[in-house]
Amino acid sequence: MPEPLLQVRGLKVHFPIRKGVVLQRQVGAVRAVDGVDLDVHKGSTFGLVGESGCGKSTLGRAILRLTDITEGEVLFEGVDLAQLKGEELRRRRRSMQMVFQDPMASLNPRQSIETIISEPLRAHDITFDNRRVRELLELVGLPASAASRYPHEFSGGQRQRIGIARAVALEPALVIADEPVSALDVSIQAQVLNLLEELQDRLGLTYLVIAHDLAVVHHVSDEVAVMYLGSIVEQAPSDALYAQPLHPYTISLMSAVPVPDPVVEDSRQRILLTGDLPSPANPPDGCRFHTRCPFRQETRCDDERPALREIQPGHRAACHYAEEILSGHITPREPDEALRAGVA
Amino acid sequence: MTVEYVPGQPQSQPQTTIAGHGDRPLLTVTDLSVTFTRRGRAPVHAVDDVSFQIRAGEHVGLVGESGSGKSVTSLAIMGLLPRGGVEVAGSVDFDGQELIGLDTATMRNLRGQELAMVFQDPMTSLNPVITVGRQITEVLKRHRDLDKADARTEAVDLLTKVGIPDPARRVGDYPHQLSGGMRQRVLIAIALACQPRLLIADEPTTALDVTIQAQILELLRELVSGSQTALLMITHDLGVVAGLCDRVHVMYSGRIVESAERRQLFARPRHPYTGGLMASIPRLDQPRGVPLTPIPGSPTDTLPWSQGCAFAPRCPNSEVDCRMHTPALEPADNRALRCFHPLTTDPRSVGATHA
Ligand SMILES: Nc1ncnc2c1ncn2[C@@H]1O[C@H](COP(=O)(O)OP(=O)(O)OP(=O)(O)O)[C@@H](O)[C@H]1O
Ligand SMILES: Nc1ncnc2c1ncn2[C@@H]1O[C@H](COP(=O)(O)OP(=O)(O)OP(=O)(O)O)[C@@H](O)[C@H]1O
Ligand code: SF4
Ligand code: SF4
Ligand SMILES: [Mg+2]
Ligand SMILES: [Mg+2]
Repeated sequence: MPEPLLQVRGLKVHFPIRKGVVLQRQVGAVRAVDGVDLDVHKGSTFGLVGESGCGKSTLGRAILRLTDITEGEVLFEGVDLAQLKGEELRRRRRSMQMVFQDPMASLNPRQSIETIISEPLRAHDITFDNRRVRELLELVGLPASAASRYPHEFSGGQRQRIGIARAVALEPALVIADEPVSALDVSIQAQVLNLLEELQDRLGLTYLVIAHDLAVVHHVSDEVAVMYLGSIVEQAPSDALYAQPLHPYTISLMSAVPVPDPVVEDSRQRILLTGDLPSPANPPDGCRFHTRCPFRQETRCDDERPALREIQPGHRAACHYAEEILSGHITPREPDEALRAGVA
Repeated sequence: MTVEYVPGQPQSQPQTTIAGHGDRPLLTVTDLSVTFTRRGRAPVHAVDDVSFQIRAGEHVGLVGESGSGKSVTSLAIMGLLPRGGVEVAGSVDFDGQELIGLDTATMRNLRGQELAMVFQDPMTSLNPVITVGRQITEVLKRHRDLDKADARTEAVDLLTKVGIPDPARRVGDYPHQLSGGMRQRVLIAIALACQPRLLIADEPTTALDVTIQAQILELLRELVSGSQTALLMITHDLGVVAGLCDRVHVMYSGRIVESAERRQLFARPRHPYTGGLMASIPRLDQPRGVPLTPIPGSPTDTLPWSQGCAFAPRCPNSEVDCRMHTPALEPADNRALRCFHPLTTDPRSVGATHA
């Protein structure tokens, strides 16, 4: 296999928690990202899924150096960006762009669409003309007449198209899309998902798609990683992950997603999780998921942190008992039992 | 799970069947219209001739995209619309009593006792400077005449029932000390404190993570099933109604465009909008190769209902008549449909075609 376009090694991002008005003593840290490894291959889509606060956005921002890295490295085309300076750094950065969740918040309301989508070109001193702007608009399915208009004149879906046009203006190799459809109406989401796929084919883009919606991530991704409290707990090719989730968190997450089909809804078995997500400032010892895990086994799960390891070819999970759970030797506690056990 | 508490009904009473029985409906909404009028602006017909019924014990879903009029419908039923700049027409009959135009005091009493509502953002309905325990006991004292000690016992009981751990301690917490999921549970506890006969839940899980959403939906299911409490579930998520509701009404641009029993609706959507929605959402239980068929345009590309079909600018089945005449909501074997050229095939498998 060729070298991955993007390699993340042992990445940690900790945000210091400070106390005191004057001295600002550090009293702890939010371990937003706490040891992540991943490879993204050229031309593929890598999906990152997990619940609110698990560190998805922080990971995406750290890859783009929009957030400081506490530990670990990010290699782009085999080169560590931290080692680069000046023109070389600018050139590499140009090949990585971001699409944001809230299309309105990420577009300057006082700038025309032409100004917005050509902004990255100007920032990198690239000469361009109206034709290039029209080309970009056409690429994302907007009429040329959009160029002279302003963001408020567009619907949410159209604004997201504008954000995508801006992201691809520099012909990047990698696009990190953070919740690209979650602010959009259901009927519009598919338009944007299809557009992202089409642009990937036409421009040979590589995507890192960050989203909390499992169905969306499953649909767009070749490879999916599931995050929980700052780490990856499971990673596999998309269809393999959804056909046979191995980590208890993924199993529960998938059983919790409502499916728009009453026949499926009536017959499926739900594994209800107890409790809320613990704080990343104070993550549980041992397996980080043990406070909510319906399969938890005494006392190893409470004491020993499981490593992300290969359970099946190309399918990795961070659970001590993945094999036993897969074979059915360990079964989940009853959902009602779990529910009654309290929702912390 | 066994939930001993059954709102609105004594324990021993046998359960009656839920959908389709012959009793008089608990709630009958007839030709409800809500128009926002602001000086210098065109009036907004947020809700336009909406009619539906809910029977005791029935779970009814109201689905639609942003701005389709779901929340305004529920606020109109609950008498919670702003006073000025809004015109309400039509009728909301709750167990023989007309709610539209009811005086404020009577309506407030009904809201505490018979009707309750849970909103998307629990923070907006909880008082931030009063402990959650007091917010529950206040309701109990006001509407159920319990004394202080009994109200406290009942509050702890209610918190236990909605799955809040260590409830005796939690009654002393302020809303900000609770997570989003726990706040929503508190809100449900408050809503159920008076054993309402109708519970309206407006996107109660939209702001929550999917694992917490599953807990809350399970809780709602347990609390209302087996009781005679009627539930109006408002959501944009077809998956949520698929698992929870007996009957589903699909709204578009202020009007109901299709109504059906949930199995019928999902097995065979007939309105191009309903079918379009189903074809445009990725499904977790299908392989990833299945292509999505988006609905073109956006929910703001509408035609005024007074001119024709509001969905015509986006509809794959639209023809000339759709822009000249307004389709009526026509009943047809236990369903209702507002469309001149309904779907004959399922858009989830092939492109939309029509009769
Ligand atoms: N600048 C910051 N300073 C301190 N803590 C932060 C900062 N940014 C993020 N965090 C914390 O780091 C954790 C991870 O946040 P992050 O935004 O990466 O999560 P996420 O997975 O993207 O969540 P969401 O789905 O809600 O967007 C959270 O606990 C968050 O509060
Ligand atoms: N106070 C108000 N004044 C003027 N217009 C309003 C007011 N409240 C709602 N509307 C309008 O009424 C229409 C219906 O709004 P409503 O809140 O019922 O939509 P919804 O279906 O609940 O959408 P969402 O899914 O976004 O919650 C919208 O066009 C909205 O802009
Ligand atoms: S290691 Fe233990 S607690 Fe962690 S996921 Fe596996 S079974 Fe659950
Ligand atoms: S009436 Fe016409 S435009 Fe409206 S939904 Fe039916 S076919 Fe489409
Ligand atoms: Mg985020
Ligand atoms: Mg609403």
